[in-house]
Amino acid sequence: MTHIDQVPTPGAPLPVEIGVTPGAKRTNPFAQVFDELVRFAQSRSLFMLHYCTGCGAVELPPAMTARFDMERLGIQPMVSPRQADILLITGYVSVKTLKRVILTYEQMNSPKYVIGICSCTVNGGMYWQSYATAKKLNDYMPVDIYIAGCMPRPEAVIEGLRGLIENIRNGRADAWKDYYRRYDHYLGNQQRLFGADWQTPTDVIAEARHYDLFGPATLGAHTALLEQHQRPLEALAMRIEIPELMRRRSRADQGGTAQ
Amino acid sequence: MRPENYEAQRQPPSYDYELNIGPNHPGIEGNYAFKLRLNGDRVIAGRADAGYLHRGFEKLMEGRLWIQNLAITPRICVPDPVPMEVSYCLAVEDLCGLVVPERAQWLRVMQLELSRIAAHLFIFGGHAATTGMYTPMFWGIADRDLILDLFEEMTGGRVYHIYNIPGGVRRDLPDGFGERVANTLDYLESRLPDYDNLLFTNQVFVHRAQGCGPISQQQALEWGVTGPNLRATGLKFDVRRDDPYLVYDQLEFEIPTEEPGDAWARALVRRREIKESIRIIRQVVARLPTLAGPIRCPIPNPLAWNVPAGSTYTRVESSKGELAWYVVSDGGERPYRTHVRGPSQMHAVQVLEQLAIGCRIEDVAQIMFSLDACPPEVDR
Repeated sequence: MTHIDQVPTPGAPLPVEIGVTPGAKRTNPFAQVFDELVRFAQSRSLFMLHYCTGCGAVELPPAMTARFDMERLGIQPMVSPRQADILLITGYVSVKTLKRVILTYEQMNSPKYVIGICSCTVNGGMYWQSYATAKKLNDYMPVDIYIAGCMPRPEAVIEGLRGLIENIRNGRADAWKDYYRRYDHYLGNQQRLFGADWQTPTDVIAEARHYDLFGPATLGAHTALLEQHQRPLEALAMRIEIPELMRRRSRADQGGTAQ
Repeated sequence: MRPENYEAQRQPPSYDYELNIGPNHPGIEGNYAFKLRLNGDRVIAGRADAGYLHRGFEKLMEGRLWIQNLAITPRICVPDPVPMEVSYCLAVEDLCGLVVPERAQWLRVMQLELSRIAAHLFIFGGHAATTGMYTPMFWGIADRDLILDLFEEMTGGRVYHIYNIPGGVRRDLPDGFGERVANTLDYLESRLPDYDNLLFTNQVFVHRAQGCGPISQQQALEWGVTGPNLRATGLKFDVRRDDPYLVYDQLEFEIPTEEPGDAWARALVRRREIKESIRIIRQVVARLPTLAGPIRCPIPNPLAWNVPAGSTYTRVESSKGELAWYVVSDGGERPYRTHVRGPSQMHAVQVLEQLAIGCRIEDVAQIMFSLDACPPEVDR
């Protein structure tokens, strides 16, 4: 069943590109004002999907309800991943859970932010020697903010969320872009854990093209392995593109050949 | 799993369909999944899908020192962690023949009962939320926080307080703590009529909960049901009274029971247990000033502690039911084998699967919350 041996060994690690370009500004002043407004709105209306992966979930009800009241920061729980902005990983992630977490993460719409709560998501924490848990969450998906502690108090959770809000305001909360830019890296780690035939229903490569984040590290040995176990991705890549955009692109292609 | 690889299978026409609840679902308690086979909105069969929270506790503990294991024992059950550590300490004390000072035993009882109130407040808020009433949830969580504040002062931790060590407890109470406990208890007792008005006489809750997921007494005994769920079927069984540990034989308290065995009875038993726990803690607070003396007995160097060979089984009454540790020592620095007998294993897997049959889809969440199952303890 598991084909761990078939998974290529990791090469030299690529530089992480999270938060490298703080607030990449557009030149048009109207666009700058618009971006500023969008970032303000995004930072002040966050829907949080809390996947209760572990112990940390027990400190979230106090943080969300009357006493610590997360809602005054504009943060509300949301039950569906499609409408959520924040994925909150509350505690240790067992291998069985991690598969569901990755499915959930890929279902969320961009921009999306991941917060790892509890020490277990940072380095395995108390279960560093456990055979059943994944140790470092950011091997499998990019993480915006870690909140360490076993378990962090509600004040610490809210402080972490305020850090995220600040990052969104400054345009630095762009960890989700790293998932598209270095998909091969993350997929490789996932394959080493789940086996070479691991795949998800979401076509991440087509989404990377859609968001203009397709880079040299998006494809690699691991995505090649992904293609071995399924049909080519091009058919699905067409589905996500906007028809208007495609028409314009085909017109430009025709113009190019005419010249 | 990709859509283009998925080939739809032709099924004979019927109204049956399958529905997965969880692991990421507001109607499920924690990281746990439940698969239902439905006809319309009636459940034909249910299948529990556990294992999302498995950490391999019993294996992890074999690799750690006796004293190191104290740090991971409370993590087994998150909403009610205290019985775990107390029960593990009782097991080690039993193997070593340690005699715990009386003051430490009373302090342990206080901590256990505070934890029971906190867990009951938490779960009955959750139970109310599954019937569409969110106010009791907000109230329950807010009142539970008062107890967590007491815990923080007493032990240093809000949720996990590794307060017990084999041979006693780690520290004594701070000054004036008994008074603050008494104030909190007075407040909680004054809140109970409010809860009755809001929830237990609320016709929405009464009609939803009565007759939902009934267990007969014989079924409960066959399925291994313990704790408030067993007492809701009319059987007066409580480890605190029938197999007393610590100083429960010196305390006066009632064992609340109810006859019907449905979700309503289970909620009501918990509501009445809060009152009994308040009564127990008041007795402890009154008794503590008369007990001077040490809070722990001397133990050998914990980093090179060879616990004598043998095996023991210690059980306590947690807020979910009967909880026990089976610990085997081969005379080494580490346990040879440990096993947890958790109540939620029975409640969340076999009982829930049986109770789901024939009920309606909206009652599944209510049955799960009324059984007060604790997923981290199911998986360990």
